[in-house]
Amino acid sequence: MGYGRFLLKRGVQGVGVVWGVVTVVFILRFITPGSPIDTVAPLDASQETRQRIAEDLGLDQPLYVQYLDYLWELLQGNMGYSYISSIPASVQVFQKLPATLELAVAASVVAVVISIPLGVISATRRHQPADYAATSFSLLGISTPNFWLGIMLVLVFAVELNVFPTSGRAYGFMQSLAAITGPEPFFTVVTAWLASLFLPAITLGTYFTALITRLVRSGMLDELSEGYVRATRAKGLPETLVRYKHVLRNTLVPVVTVLGLQLGTLIGGAVITEAVFAWPGLGTEIIRAINARDWPILQGSLIVIGTGFVLLNIVVDALYAYLDPRVIAE
Amino acid sequence: MSDQDTSRRRFLQAAGSATAAVALAGCSGNGGDPTEGTLTTSAGGDETQTTTSPEETTERPEPDTRDGFLQRANRHTHEQAPWVFLHRQYSVYGQSSDIEWQPRTDERVAAYAIEPATDAGDDVVMTQSQMDSGLDPQDHRETPTDNIVLQAYEGLLERDREGAIVETLATDYERLDETTVQFTVRDNVSFHSGDSLTPEDVAFSINRIVDSDVGIESPQVDQLIGVEGAEVASSDDRTVNVNLSGLNPIVFASFATYCDVMNKSWVESNDQAYINQNMDGTGPFELSNYEQGVAVEFQRNDDYWDDPAAISTFTINSASESSTRVNRLLSDETDIAVNVPPQEVSRVENSDDASISAVPSTRVIFNAMRYDVEPFDSPAFRRAVNHAVDLDSIIENVLQTFGSPTAQPTLEGFFGHNEDLDPYPRDLERAEELVEESGYAGAEIELVTPIGRYLKDVEIAQAVASQVDELSNVSATARQVEFSTLVSQVTTGNIEDKPDWYLLGWGNATFDAIQTIQPLLASDGALTSYKNDELDRLLDEAQSLPSESN
Repeated sequence: MGYGRFLLKRGVQGVGVVWGVVTVVFILRFITPGSPIDTVAPLDASQETRQRIAEDLGLDQPLYVQYLDYLWELLQGNMGYSYISSIPASVQVFQKLPATLELAVAASVVAVVISIPLGVISATRRHQPADYAATSFSLLGISTPNFWLGIMLVLVFAVELNVFPTSGRAYGFMQSLAAITGPEPFFTVVTAWLASLFLPAITLGTYFTALITRLVRSGMLDELSEGYVRATRAKGLPETLVRYKHVLRNTLVPVVTVLGLQLGTLIGGAVITEAVFAWPGLGTEIIRAINARDWPILQGSLIVIGTGFVLLNIVVDALYAYLDPRVIAE
Repeated sequence: MSDQDTSRRRFLQAAGSATAAVALAGCSGNGGDPTEGTLTTSAGGDETQTTTSPEETTERPEPDTRDGFLQRANRHTHEQAPWVFLHRQYSVYGQSSDIEWQPRTDERVAAYAIEPATDAGDDVVMTQSQMDSGLDPQDHRETPTDNIVLQAYEGLLERDREGAIVETLATDYERLDETTVQFTVRDNVSFHSGDSLTPEDVAFSINRIVDSDVGIESPQVDQLIGVEGAEVASSDDRTVNVNLSGLNPIVFASFATYCDVMNKSWVESNDQAYINQNMDGTGPFELSNYEQGVAVEFQRNDDYWDDPAAISTFTINSASESSTRVNRLLSDETDIAVNVPPQEVSRVENSDDASISAVPSTRVIFNAMRYDVEPFDSPAFRRAVNHAVDLDSIIENVLQTFGSPTAQPTLEGFFGHNEDLDPYPRDLERAEELVEESGYAGAEIELVTPIGRYLKDVEIAQAVASQVDELSNVSATARQVEFSTLVSQVTTGNIEDKPDWYLLGWGNATFDAIQTIQPLLASDGALTSYKNDELDRLLDEAQSLPSESN
């Protein structure tokens, strides 16, 4: 099988998975208690009013008709309209997506910046105090619920020390870029943007920092025992060069893979962090949509997240296949 | 049947979300099936009553006013105890020292009433638990959206802080006859777009709610129930006539709460998605920025028809977590934090720069008991449950005093409230006697409560169940369900679908007893758990008389 055929196969599989996601998400609305009519209509609305609202929202149609309608509209790029605000779901979802992406990327950056040096130090100073400190940190990071961590960080750094804002998103990445030519002072905008991003990114990134620290440490230890390391040392290469040019580079291959896949997890898993920090992203929107039974928004959000996952997986598979052609043969 | 009977029937069929025709047999005080227990309810709650004990009855003269009939209806419910009467919920706000502001009973936060106490108080931020469901003032019916749209939109009438009706875009209002009321529209008022307010705009706004062919499927349609439509009576006199299906005693109370006036040409030239993201009202603030689901920013409307607002800008954002709202207040990021729960109150009170403001809200919390199932079909048993509950303890320990006990469906200060009724005292001995009397000794009952819908709902339900369980001859437990599950059970229109015993809250923004008793306790109420011919008769009589309050 050639590389192109391999990619085509993965693409077809991806479409199948997305269709599966769409179907499961659509069916979920019918097995979840509660109806969007109960959100749109007041509690004491008459049965006639409820019926009119049901007709207005198309909820009086049989299940298969609603499903086929939804699929047909989706194929044309229409995710429907919010039951609550009548705004197109695609507009509402894609308005919120950048904030979540920004948070996920920032958390990944936090994870990389902290975890790689920590993992290297831990591996190269095995069974020394630095190693114990790093492994304790990673254990703590994996065990700490991020909602608790978020609340604690806010209490200490925002409420008590007043260093960071407690919540919200002052500016976005694009707004910060626009400030270069805009009327607002660039430094003020960027500072406010980074300040509002800092605590949520730390909260969301801590688990992954701990995870990657452990990954780097074990990877480094494995690599350090390889024969080529002894050979490079025998050649008289400085230890720094051995560690960072040869060992770390080889360790990073699985780390990059994990990071890529975890980015998808971060996008989908930012719900709690977004709630704690009132971060106006897809997670907050999902919670609001669930509470309001605003199915078009919930479906749209989950489909976007699901599609993102599938795309990331395809990219990783493609990279694997490119780096190791044996994958294609398998 | 007389014409008057006909028009009364037509209104009653619609009033208070009624879903079925009211049996007019009830008007004569008899007829219908004898579904209730043996306690006579001839003792009415009015000025001449002599006792408040449900077990004692006193013959009283028939009331001759609407207020009297509603008070009598409240007395009936107190005596028959179709609910475990719990408490009136308080609205609790955290407030920055940068502003001067007093909360309102109807939970609406009007920035027009805010005054700066410091220079920083000129730009005010408010954080509530959720954002709007769109900016169309006629396409919602929940407080968070109300708080946003009322800054830019106004109705013909509104309520002052104490709940009294005052004119806004109407300069006068009167009842012309039983089925017609007239509003005179204020002159020299402009929308934010610059268009002048006309009587056509007012008539269009009313019709947009009550007639889906004109506008939208408005969730406010049941709030203007009995309103058939509006038309301009005279452009020169700026009068608009509103046609009613019958004598609607609370029509002005309804207009004081609902029906914001919109710019007809602006609405007709834009689609619904645009209207939900933009505003063109006549209010004291105009929209300056809208980020859906994130924040709404207003700036002062300097061309406002009344005195301009005291503050320059007003921003509303949201945080679903109460701790986040309080954190924002304590970090000076917001000036008003809405819905501060009891556990967060001390944090605010300990702050130098913020304080707590609390006000009794328009929401009553209660446990409905279905009249048609054992053991709740016995009034004696229902009274026993009321006697078993220690309301004072719940209010002090669960709500940390942010609540007040109730003895009837209608809250204090509302039209039709009966001042002579006191909450059931906790009396376990009497409760056990009543249980024996009911013949349901050994009953096992379960209280269904929503999770997180009302302030401390689960804790309140657990406390109620635990207190009732202290009776030697009753076992009680509490069961939690998602609010949506409970809603799907109580809104079907069939009493059989409801749980036997459930906790619910009810907000009544019209300040009139009928809007609580009719939907929740009348035989044909949309959410009723009770059926009694005498109560139906009292409501019927009340709705056939004009309201002294409006």
